[in-house]
Amino acid sequence: MKRTLLILLIGIAAPVLQGALNTFVPARFTPDLAFLVVIGLGLYWRSTAGGLVLAATLGFAADLLSGSLLGQQALLRLLAFGAARSASGHLNLRGAVPQSFFVVGLTALNALGVATLNVFFTAGGGFDLVMLRDLLSHALLNALFAFPVSRLVEAVATAFGDDEGARRALRLTPRVRSI
Amino acid sequence: MAESDRRLPVSLIVAGLVAIAVVSMVVDRRGVIERGREFPAWLGSLLDIAAPVQDAVAMPFEAVRDTWSGYISLLHVKLQNDTLQREVARLSEENLQLREALVASGRLQRIADMRKHYEVPMLPAELVGVDASPWFRSVLVDRGRDRGVLSGMPVISEKGLVGLVTATSRHSAKAMLVLDRQTSVDGVIQRSRSRGTVRGRGSDELEFEFVARNSDVRVNDLVITSGLGGVYPKGLFIGTISEVSDPGTQLMRRATIQPAVDFGRLEQVFVMLRRGPTMELLYSTQVGDESPPSESAGPPS
Repeated sequence: MKRTLLILLIGIAAPVLQGALNTFVPARFTPDLAFLVVIGLGLYWRSTAGGLVLAATLGFAADLLSGSLLGQQALLRLLAFGAARSASGHLNLRGAVPQSFFVVGLTALNALGVATLNVFFTAGGGFDLVMLRDLLSHALLNALFAFPVSRLVEAVATAFGDDEGARRALRLTPRVRSI
Repeated sequence: MAESDRRLPVSLIVAGLVAIAVVSMVVDRRGVIERGREFPAWLGSLLDIAAPVQDAVAMPFEAVRDTWSGYISLLHVKLQNDTLQREVARLSEENLQLREALVASGRLQRIADMRKHYEVPMLPAELVGVDASPWFRSVLVDRGRDRGVLSGMPVISEKGLVGLVTATSRHSAKAMLVLDRQTSVDGVIQRSRSRGTVRGRGSDELEFEFVARNSDVRVNDLVITSGLGGVYPKGLFIGTISEVSDPGTQLMRRATIQPAVDFGRLEQVFVMLRRGPTMELLYSTQVGDESPPSESAGPPS
């Protein structure tokens, strides 16, 4: 529970603080920290179901603070979580370099997702040259920050002891004694 | 068997969350079109918390910026002061002459009546946060429903058009900038009266798509709101034409606009506390009314 709350706090504080920072620095020159937290969840969070709920919650929080439709970033965060979860099962993404390459790809897919949903749901245009220009700097910064953010998520995911392990031990002990 | 039992809930959770997100988008889109987004307390609380936090976080950065810009400004202030005093004297004289001319022609009263009719109360608001995502261009301001701010109200600065309020909570509001890809405004070239649609490109420039292919447009022409969309009042300064493209074989003629407002340095804005007729018509329609206006299918423009 503590871990979940801490991740929620980090994931919600990230866009809030970034929003303040972006009054001085354009958003394309800053990493999307909340997005990176979700990727970190996909890589390191133990429970898939819990991670999915967290990813969607953080997406909805980002939607509330952003100009997107409510649910737009939540949907894309779910996809990002799923992609990270799936990729971590097949690839070794523990190192900084593979993680950076993976995040560049996922950032590009996320941008395409935003453009596609904009075309379907709003009057916003599709993927264009301006978006491509913004994507280059944004993806690069995301790649640079991916490793430290995922390490932070990993640290939180393993913090406060292992609740599940502790519960299992309590259940097993009486059985062993009865035998 | 045990593995499939464990997988089932995850797939159900995925399906449920995806469904919630998609339904939420559809409902939110309908909200934008039909009734505005006045967030209930439980939903708007994040905005209400974010606004003062962002304000506090930005404070030290603002202090550094203000000190620096204050120092730079001081270097020019004497020269600027002399120029401004001369300008004030000239404008005072001109104003006096114009008033005399108007009184003489008997139009002053009519103009005063017209001003009363069009004058819109404005609420100053501080910009406390900018969209964290590079794909959207919106800002968070520190005034909300408790100060009369509602979805669909235009936002301006002393330099020109800024955007439109798209969501409100009790103490703060979210405004979409004209730069956003989802924004379109009906505009007109002040000199030639050529009309068209100003669209956000997601960058720091705007695109002007003209109605007529042979529109009279030149670099440095001023673009103002036409008032035709019924969202923004007529005559708000949008920006200056910086580039005109050759239409070639295209049906539309396009131009690039340099916005009047420097969005990178935007600190204070004014919310016009009266919605345009279209927004008033759309947003005052009761929820559940089966006959919303047909124009509501498009975005506010």
